[in-house]
Amino acid sequence: MPSSRVAIEFMEKCRAAASADAVRDVLFADMAAMGFAYVACCSHVDPLRPPPGAVNMINYPAAWLARFSAENYAAHDPVFMAARTSAVPFFWDDVLKGRRLTRLQRDILQDAAAIGLANGLTIPIHSPGALPASCSLVPGPDGVDPLQVPAVFLMAVYAHERARALLDDGAHALRPALSARERECLALAGAGKSDWVIGRMLGIHERTVHNTIERAKKRYGVAFRVQAVVRAVLDGQIRIDDLAD
Amino acid sequence: MIHIITEDNRHLFRHALMEMHRHRKSVFIDRMRWGLEAPQGLEIDQFDAADAVYLVETAAHDGAVTGSVRLLPTARAHLMSEVFAHLCVTGVPRGARIWEVSRFCPAPQIAKGAPRQALLARMIAGIMETGLLFGMERVTFVAGAALAPLAMAIGWDAAPLGPTMRMGRERVRAITAAITPEGLNAVRARNSLTGPMTRFAAAVLPAAA
Repeated sequence: MPSSRVAIEFMEKCRAAASADAVRDVLFADMAAMGFAYVACCSHVDPLRPPPGAVNMINYPAAWLARFSAENYAAHDPVFMAARTSAVPFFWDDVLKGRRLTRLQRDILQDAAAIGLANGLTIPIHSPGALPASCSLVPGPDGVDPLQVPAVFLMAVYAHERARALLDDGAHALRPALSARERECLALAGAGKSDWVIGRMLGIHERTVHNTIERAKKRYGVAFRVQAVVRAVLDGQIRIDDLAD
Repeated sequence: MIHIITEDNRHLFRHALMEMHRHRKSVFIDRMRWGLEAPQGLEIDQFDAADAVYLVETAAHDGAVTGSVRLLPTARAHLMSEVFAHLCVTGVPRGARIWEVSRFCPAPQIAKGAPRQALLARMIAGIMETGLLFGMERVTFVAGAALAPLAMAIGWDAAPLGPTMRMGRERVRAITAAITPEGLNAVRARNSLTGPMTRFAAAVLPAAA
């Protein structure tokens, strides 16, 4: 999970954004700059009639969204289904090939591919209190540099959390206090260091690093370390600058 | 054809590089069970970065990636300095003209035996061509028990940096090889390779003055 300059600048722009729409514009622009033609960072709902609080940052072709909404594809989309049960990001081709899909699900994939929504990368987003969500990214014809992919993970989760916070600014999220060691380990993990490297830098055992980060994840009630990093940045316990290499 | 991919031209090879990281995941993690991480199905480690040089061989007929290898500058942190330093009896060779070779990855569809050995020979010729182009004097690498004898006998001037040691499930050894025109000729002759294996594609070639 190395945080490239790109990811750090992206997070700074998102933090400066005053509305969910502004976060959306930053997300589309920065993903396009990395080579992604389409983005769908959204709650798993009807994209044309999202319920209050749903994150809905999608630039898929309008005709596809109209059909997705009319046919209630949100309830069947195999990418949404895979995101719900996957803990880690996945490329559509890798995950969906081996799965048993219904005829409707195969049709959805085929028709999406026919209009250019193919070979996407989906980052599942499991966030306590939020609707099930994910961020799907479809590379354009020139492709995407593989070294950017780990940064994309952080960017997607951050954009979702930031948009959600702006949509729902009346509600106060719980802010669990992190210990100094937890903050230190999370910041280094956010800078792309492995447990082993963090252990060497802090002079503690790799296993201790792992346990410390697990404890921080538990405090936030999240499944991935990248989410814990994002939460800690959002609630001000670590600074974006701390994530620089 | 083996493409030399550097920071300057890697934007032309995003698809090939993506396929390379995918192959590395299926070969090193799924097949060889190395303890590496591959979130999102791509094996990318802490040493993969813009300053690495990748050699990626593609098939002439469909452009599919058939094999790849990574070259890392040794002046910065690399595998030998961070993970395999104990394999080098007299210290890890480092310097501007010494590069480390790692992640030799035959595509999963390349059959064991002769086809993979032929790929190894082409890649080593490619490494030497690249080395001569970039002013490398020698390369270092760590090889497992299966690869070490092949890499030693391929025609270049190679010597072990220390004894074979057990690491996890594998027996590994650090090796260094000289990059010289004579060595390249010997590799080509011994493996019946004619002419250069590598190409360096650039988006914009600077105009001659």
